[in-house]
Amino acid sequence: MEEEEAKIVFVGHVDHGKSTLIGRLLYDSDSIHDERITEVQGLVEEFKRRFEFAYFLDALEDEMREERTIDTTALMFKGKRLYTLTDVPGHREFIRNMLTGASHADFAVLVVSADEGVREQTKRHLFLLNLLGVPVIAVVINKMDAVSYSRDVFENVCSAVKDVMRSIGINDDVIFIPASAINGENIYKRSENMDWYNGMTLIEALDSVELRRKSEKKLRFVVQDVYEIASCRVVVGRVASGVMNVGDEVVFEPSHTHARIASIKTAERDVSTAEKGDSVGIVLEASDSAVSAESAVSAVSAVRRGDVCGHAHDKPVTVRRFTGEAVLLEHLKTGERLNLKVCTALVDAEVSEISTRIDSESGEVLERFPSEVKAGDAAVIVFETEPVVVERFSEIPPLGRFALLREGKNIGAGIVI
Amino acid sequence: MSSRLRSLENRSIYILREAYAEFDRPAVLWSTGKDSTTVLHLCRKAFFGEVPFPVIHIDTGRKFREMYEFRDRLAREWNLNMIIARNEDALNSGIGPEKGKLACCTALKTQALLKCISEHNFDALILAIRRDEHGVRAKERVYSPRDRNFRWDYRDQPLEVWDYFQRATEEGTHTRVHPILHWRELDVWEFIKNEQIPVNPLYFARNGKRYRSLGCEPCTSPIESNAATIDEIIEELKRTKTAERAGRAQDKEKAFMMMKLRALGYM
Repeated sequence: MEEEEAKIVFVGHVDHGKSTLIGRLLYDSDSIHDERITEVQGLVEEFKRRFEFAYFLDALEDEMREERTIDTTALMFKGKRLYTLTDVPGHREFIRNMLTGASHADFAVLVVSADEGVREQTKRHLFLLNLLGVPVIAVVINKMDAVSYSRDVFENVCSAVKDVMRSIGINDDVIFIPASAINGENIYKRSENMDWYNGMTLIEALDSVELRRKSEKKLRFVVQDVYEIASCRVVVGRVASGVMNVGDEVVFEPSHTHARIASIKTAERDVSTAEKGDSVGIVLEASDSAVSAESAVSAVSAVRRGDVCGHAHDKPVTVRRFTGEAVLLEHLKTGERLNLKVCTALVDAEVSEISTRIDSESGEVLERFPSEVKAGDAAVIVFETEPVVVERFSEIPPLGRFALLREGKNIGAGIVI
Repeated sequence: MSSRLRSLENRSIYILREAYAEFDRPAVLWSTGKDSTTVLHLCRKAFFGEVPFPVIHIDTGRKFREMYEFRDRLAREWNLNMIIARNEDALNSGIGPEKGKLACCTALKTQALLKCISEHNFDALILAIRRDEHGVRAKERVYSPRDRNFRWDYRDQPLEVWDYFQRATEEGTHTRVHPILHWRELDVWEFIKNEQIPVNPLYFARNGKRYRSLGCEPCTSPIESNAATIDEIIEELKRTKTAERAGRAQDKEKAFMMMKLRALGYM
């Protein structure tokens, strides 16, 4: 049986009930081990607390004591398909953990409390999801029990959320669900207190989503390393987009190496083709465009970690300057030197210009051409770099994502625009 | 191979090759259990038939006889560069689980590993933990930096956006690398079946009992089971509501035991 896996990230403001919602979903779908239930019951007694569904997720002692999620948690459960649910903290101080949890998601569910409505992190999370390119598929208006299951309240909160989405530029097809996670209403089971709502429950909404795994046409093979196997040079890496076949004429950039693919290797056997996601090794031979066999051999030996390979007729382009939109966990100044990572390439770069400083809560431009940005800000930045292959995120997402590093530490993430 | 297993394998191989390219002195930890044996098999796939770095086995002196036999057989067949790490001082002093499981695990496993890492100067340790094993493991990153004292600062984990893993940067620190963090227990068994990976006979039922998770003999209990083949184990896992580590005593001696063990450097 083929199992499709959907990775969902739950986002929202602190205390709007993300962990409770996930705990409830797991509990109602019978996905929690008996021992875990016993363990949580034991903890509830030890800490003299009222039972909370969130306790199924918050596994750190500090999380239990402070009654809040500190780090991202990934849990799996089986619905119509296999789900990995990622819970991220709703506090501003944990943007780092939110980005970590959200960057691997196929789609997102936003949780907004009916009694509080749109709050600071509601907006920030929507902004960051949009920047990471993760679509929102459902908005759960939670805690409907606290507002007497009022249809008016639900509709007001929905329209406030829609306004925020519009202002950020999110045009996803979104389902709005009135729910009470604590009572398990419209999560797994239909609520009996909201006759006015005939739409989907959360689990129905999740099951109804079609995974739009885009497959781009252009071949981009990212080089991780070059191995010497039985005196044969094997270039190992991952197909980030497109399809590669034995016999294809290819070019590696920035090393500017022309070659033909002689064979594609997995551990057990040679294969004739590799597609998006495949980790393979390739052996190269002289391309037709090589001047001589010798020059081809020496040229092929120039391929190295950080190179990106594409078809000769649609080759990757090396840049020395590009513009990105990034969110930063630390301050950053114009003129500063740092490192950028794009796939396996790690390059020196300089912040040539900060075009705009953006409020990561509202998405509004705060300043044009500022000399610096603060921790927690987003910004449009022009980088001068060592030669590196990048693509626009909108065209080939895997080649359009970068991390900013200062002294080896990831201090931000961005996309090429 | 199913497309799910193929995509799990592709990602694991990508992570292993990243670690091999980025670290000077990596090593892989092998308990002889199904998960770390799967990781060794993935290494052999990633590096075309060999494991190109040392394989560390932490010997507490209290493992099952079958584990030692299995270890020695596979080490020969797969031509592994083995390092056996033992905390001889603690073993000589007669430490055991009866004197407290946290102290015993810390001395015989964590301390033994700490000593081994500093002796060999390893900068990366490849470990076979999975997110679905335990709530605390669900919080792990693919690369997990550990400080000089081995501690996992779970309150302050790095930004790990997309596949941009962040290694430990300071002198004397090391990075834990988790190539099968995204796998489930069921995936491991389906992969073992598909790839015909050798596994320890203790996993298969005899007289109505089998081991689902292997550790030290005094602290590991078998579960009730009649699953005597890999197919039967896969069927059993599809139905069970019992946790994988239910038979592992050290996890549940006290509240947050696993968290405390891991914060101290436990695997």
